Amino acid sequence: MKLRSPLLLAAAVLALLTACTPGTGGGGGGDGKSFEFWSFSAINQKLTVEAYKAKRPDVEIKLTEVGTSTETAQSLTTALAGGKVPDLVLIQGDNLPQFVEQPQNFVDLRTLGADEVKGDYLDWVWRQSVAKDGEVLGVPTDVGGMAVAYRTDLFAAAGLPTDRAAVSALWPSWDAFIETGKRYKQTTGKAFTDNAATSVFYQAVNQVSEKYYSEDRKLVYSTNPQVKAAFDLGIKAATAGITSGQSSFESAWSAGMAQGQYAAVSAPSWMLNSIRSTAPDTKGKWDIAKIPGGSGNWGGSYLAIPKRAKNPQAAWDYIKEMQSPQGQLEHFNRVGALPSTPSVYQDSKLTDAKDPFFSDAPTGKIYTESLLGLKPFYIGPDSAAIGQEFLNAITNVEQSGGNPATAWDDALRAIKNAIGE
Amino acid sequence: MTATLSRASRAAPPQPGARKIKGVGERLSAYAYIAPFFVVFGVFGLFPFAFTFYVALFDWNPIGDQVFIGFDNFTRMFGDPRFWNAAGNTVSIWALSTVPQLLLALVLAHVLNHARLRFALFFRMSVLVPYVTSVAATAIVFVQLFDRDYGLLNWLLGLVGVEPVDFVQSTWGSHLLIATMVTWRWFGYTTLLYLASLQSLPRSVFEAAAIDGAGPWQRFRHISVPSLRPVIIFTVVTSTIGGLQIFTEPLLIATGAPLTCGAVRQCQTLTLFLYEQGFGQFEFGYGSAVGVALFVMVVAIAALNYLLSTRIKAD
Repeated sequence: MKLRSPLLLAAAVLALLTACTPGTGGGGGGDGKSFEFWSFSAINQKLTVEAYKAKRPDVEIKLTEVGTSTETAQSLTTALAGGKVPDLVLIQGDNLPQFVEQPQNFVDLRTLGADEVKGDYLDWVWRQSVAKDGEVLGVPTDVGGMAVAYRTDLFAAAGLPTDRAAVSALWPSWDAFIETGKRYKQTTGKAFTDNAATSVFYQAVNQVSEKYYSEDRKLVYSTNPQVKAAFDLGIKAATAGITSGQSSFESAWSAGMAQGQYAAVSAPSWMLNSIRSTAPDTKGKWDIAKIPGGSGNWGGSYLAIPKRAKNPQAAWDYIKEMQSPQGQLEHFNRVGALPSTPSVYQDSKLTDAKDPFFSDAPTGKIYTESLLGLKPFYIGPDSAAIGQEFLNAITNVEQSGGNPATAWDDALRAIKNAIGE
Repeated sequence: MTATLSRASRAAPPQPGARKIKGVGERLSAYAYIAPFFVVFGVFGLFPFAFTFYVALFDWNPIGDQVFIGFDNFTRMFGDPRFWNAAGNTVSIWALSTVPQLLLALVLAHVLNHARLRFALFFRMSVLVPYVTSVAATAIVFVQLFDRDYGLLNWLLGLVGVEPVDFVQSTWGSHLLIATMVTWRWFGYTTLLYLASLQSLPRSVFEAAAIDGAGPWQRFRHISVPSLRPVIIFTVVTSTIGGLQIFTEPLLIATGAPLTCGAVRQCQTLTLFLYEQGFGQFEFGYGSAVGVALFVMVVAIAALNYLLSTRIKAD
């Protein structure tokens, strides 16, 4: 025992260390029959995975619901930096640019045949995942068309129309939306919408033809009149007293939703799921009207394959099957995510789809219409950070008594601090 | 401390020359036995610590390029109002939590040390309950108590005609909320430290003082407090170091913007700022620079502690 024990110990320690070395851990074997898939939680990805398994019973999929879209992007970054990567990962549109900036971390999907399917997708959505030398890093799984969800019972009580066409006619513009809010507040004394930052500014700023970057990818957030106009709308809504000052997705926001505190909430297509799950008791009391301004997109995600993936081919087979126009249409009928493939927009399976939770509103029709005539804009690596600071500046006015007159300059200063230019 | 040391040395008296160490193997085996700790410490403690200083000199994108930029991260930090805001918040939350916490603990320890206290053990143990409750659970409960629309506290304030206060969204409110959580969590621990120190005092001193006509306040002021001086300094220093590292509470209270603790960073502490830069924005270099700054502050406070405690011993 005398000499052997330290050697044994040293060997054990060594074994332990090598086991912990990042980057070498194995997923499934590279057999093309199994792959690991990271997705967000609470978007029912399981259903789609099961549908694929039904079609391809020989394939094994290990689905991990990492967390929110942001948490998934953070985990992916950590994994890419030196850990075990999945074979397939879902990336939310807002997080995509930071990865597109570093294309060396992902499989260029053109090598697997992305060019053949390119024509199936909305061109401006596809282009967001194309890196500087033309590498295609992701396939769009859905888009986030825009609309407004409103409570028919609360609208009726306030003497407002409840029919979705009549309600849409109430607000051709955001100014008219704010005016409607004031009317509602006058009759009921209650807040009209949840907040100004997300429900007004973040919607309006996604309806522009040029956002924080110009088409040639230069920062123009401080000089672009469209951004300023959207910001001013946000401030106007914040100071009009029509919001209940609850930041979207906070716990008190969910509580307010369940208690029927908001008569109208801006609802990108994925928000419907969130309303359904936070306020299940309000079923049938909602309906869906057009977004002020008529069109817009917020959100949508992409499927990408990290470079170090063990089974890129199996992952690509999944993308090809499930993200085809037909696959996305089925996905829409399963969970309500809006397809990024325009060829199915006229399909009766989409146009006839009605949502009983929202008074049988034809969600497919309403949301795809909001995507027509949409003007694509470039989303850059700092877009998310810039958007966050604008949101913060409006929230500050709305909830913490910030000065509306200096809010714009405050926001610009905060952005400068955040992105360093 | 000295008591523990002398007891330990009595239990295992040194036996020089009792047995000769044979061979290189046995000599080395001792190192192998202590290796697990030092290997783990090296991998998860020492290496990341040293590596932080290295990374702080880079513009370090974890999935992209790593560019050496010298001290630019530090220059940026000193000119960054977000850094100073976080530093200010940290100091404010630390002051709001440490001062009441230590005063409360001092008074409680004095009371719990009272000779005629019934169920003393029960009370002494009860003060530790907040300490063993998970921070996340504490945060969830306190955020609900302090909620603007549905909170118990605002309901009580409403009874006396005060408008609801939005604690999380306001600077002072959020600091107060975090400080309350920190105080709640740590006062029991500090109380027990004081109590242990008080109990090492001979009871006869208190009795003699009582016979000489000293009231409870005078006994507290002239016996308890002076005899607790070393342990008070110890707790001030540990709670200051802990205060510099307040992280979980601010992360959990503003659920809409957790990494900045609210829309205008009203309660973002230094560690949260570090985390936001490092793991929210993935600016590893800049985040590391903030980490280095935090390290320097903690060392400075520890040095101050050393100076103060040696001064006290010299007294």
